[in-house]
Amino acid sequence: MDVIFFTLFNGLMYGMLLFMLSSGLTLIFGMMGVLNFAHASFFMLGAYFAYQISKYIGFIPALFIAPLIIAFCGAMVEKYALRRVHKFGHVAELLFTFGLFYIIEELVQMIWGKVPVGYHVPEFMDFTLFSMSGMGYQAYAIFTLLVSIAIFLALFSVLTKTRVGLIIQAALTHPEIVSSLGHNVPKVFMLVFGLGCALAGLAGVLAGNTLGTEPSMALSLGPIVFVVIVVGGLGSLKGALVASILIGVLQTAAISLDVSINSFIETIGLTVNIESLWHILIDLTISQVAPILPYLLLVVMLIIRPRGLFGNRDV
Amino acid sequence: MLTNFIKILLLSITLISYASITKAKDTIKIAIIEPMSGPLASVGLDFIEGLEFHAERINEAGGVLGGRHIEIVPYDNAMVAEKTIQQLRKVIDEDIRYVTQGVGSNHALNIIKTLQKHNKRNPGKEIMFLNHSAVTTSFTNELCNFYHFRFDANVDMKVAALVAQMAKDPSIKKVYLLNQNYAYGQSFQKAARKFLAERAPNIEVVGDELIVPFGKILDFNPYVAKITSSGADTVLTGNWGPDAARLIKASANSELKVQFYTIYAGIPAGINSMGKKVSTFNKVIQVTESHENDASHPEWLKEIDSEYFKFSNKSPYSDRQRFMLEMFVKAVEKAESTDPTAVGFALEGMTGRGAHGEIYMRAIDHQIHFDMVLSHVSTDVEKTFIYNNEDFGMAYVTDGWVSKEDLTLPTTCKMKRPKI
Repeated sequence: MDVIFFTLFNGLMYGMLLFMLSSGLTLIFGMMGVLNFAHASFFMLGAYFAYQISKYIGFIPALFIAPLIIAFCGAMVEKYALRRVHKFGHVAELLFTFGLFYIIEELVQMIWGKVPVGYHVPEFMDFTLFSMSGMGYQAYAIFTLLVSIAIFLALFSVLTKTRVGLIIQAALTHPEIVSSLGHNVPKVFMLVFGLGCALAGLAGVLAGNTLGTEPSMALSLGPIVFVVIVVGGLGSLKGALVASILIGVLQTAAISLDVSINSFIETIGLTVNIESLWHILIDLTISQVAPILPYLLLVVMLIIRPRGLFGNRDV
Repeated sequence: MLTNFIKILLLSITLISYASITKAKDTIKIAIIEPMSGPLASVGLDFIEGLEFHAERINEAGGVLGGRHIEIVPYDNAMVAEKTIQQLRKVIDEDIRYVTQGVGSNHALNIIKTLQKHNKRNPGKEIMFLNHSAVTTSFTNELCNFYHFRFDANVDMKVAALVAQMAKDPSIKKVYLLNQNYAYGQSFQKAARKFLAERAPNIEVVGDELIVPFGKILDFNPYVAKITSSGADTVLTGNWGPDAARLIKASANSELKVQFYTIYAGIPAGINSMGKKVSTFNKVIQVTESHENDASHPEWLKEIDSEYFKFSNKSPYSDRQRFMLEMFVKAVEKAESTDPTAVGFALEGMTGRGAHGEIYMRAIDHQIHFDMVLSHVSTDVEKTFIYNNEDFGMAYVTDGWVSKEDLTLPTTCKMKRPKI
């Protein structure tokens, strides 16, 4: 029972972190068709801004100010650069965001140096909220979980229940008609891009202190974010949520299992006498391959259902 | 007017290049190939700065062989193994006869293999590799080579030191091994199992885990849960960088009480990024050649340390660059030559001054031997660690020393020596 609770709860916590990381990306892709390679860079900027701001005026202001700055940066990037590149097609956009990734990494190194900075969990949330089967749960981790759930609910209701969401969705499929109805479509795109970046920035604020804030963090986070949005379905917010939690639970469960093919063979009473490479393969425990599982899921998903869980178009 | 200007320009170019040629003849060049850009640049740049400081110190004290200066020539490999080879080709083209490197054993392996071919094909133009930090044990075992000298303890020796200290602590009963799944982590795991069985048979191994390396794991909670349920009181890990920081953070946040025996988890930038609370919540123990707050830290080394602080605005962390250059200079003086073959023979068995007694370069495998100190991170220290004006508020407290005799391990090296 304890194991099941831990797996589900930890899977949820980790999954919501992944969701926050990828929701902005899937939003931008779903709405604008731009695959933003620099998404993780905005996540990194969020962490660094939060580090700098919380050093002077505390964590709570940083939680609001840092994403706002990132949103502004994102909007400016869209307005003055991405919009111009947009007319040359998707390859140009992709290359642009790819370049942006490196520019941001270099800028961060120039400003904050190349070693990790000391961005820590705020003291007033740095205590154990409750314990379950020997594992303590930090108040900050629960706070992060709650914020990410709130973000999902807010995003979902804005996009589906409000007028703004209606205009955004219409602008994406029928930009000319929306434009002729008097709405400023480029402005809508700019706001969506800014919002997507702000979400990444917020994830950076919340996760930078637990994952460590350093110039290489964007690079190491890149791949997993793409797995989430492809498995969930490109452009689907619901899909990103389900895929994130699925990956979170799957990975947590897999790490807990110290079972290998060999141990399975041994329990049914056989011994295998293989030398060399095959031995390595059957000795691999599930916990060892756990970090590869999301990527395996990605491959399987692309084969059997290329549009992802909730997507409405193929990759 | 213009022709005059061109004449002056040409003349000055000739003069400058002439000046640099004469300067090049006087100095003994040591090329250093490290990351100066990319995510690990800070590590590479710190090593280069340390080496430049010690070269400067030697030059100011009168240089080598009656006044010749040592010149450190940095090359950037951006932490890409192919670039290391490219830069090494440049070193060869520029006729630099000594090369040093340390960040990343795969880079060191490239240097060893490239130089092996070069030295075989170009007799009389051999290049020596002074390895200051690449710790893969095989470099001084089956891959050993006359022109390679290692000035850091290898993985096996470091693990032996960690286990020796663990054996002294009767409170340690159950240990959990957690390592990164690549060459270094696997050799750490293998050595740990071997030495625990041989030297600390009372300690039970309750877990043995290999994880995907290089910051790919974001969530260490499942591992913390496994360590908790295994009942381990100590975690023995070779993890470094984010893989170490996240593990230690996750343990502290989950209130898991264990000791961490590590090689690299205590490096200054790492403990600063984790913060005081996390770094001291559990005992994070590291193994190094010396540290500033040790009671037996000799006076002469304290002086060098404070000079280094004035030079770089950083507290000293590794002492290897110092004794590597000192022993190199001693070998050049002894050989009365700058030829790598002669210097190589002089370096074999060479002794030097260490932070805790004499250090020596073992002749059979070119592996340095020195006493190693186990220390843990603490805020209650005499001198806190300072890095570019930022006071980390922490440093290290000695847990114990392991003598070099206890760290002398057998080698499988069968070295082919050049004929003179």
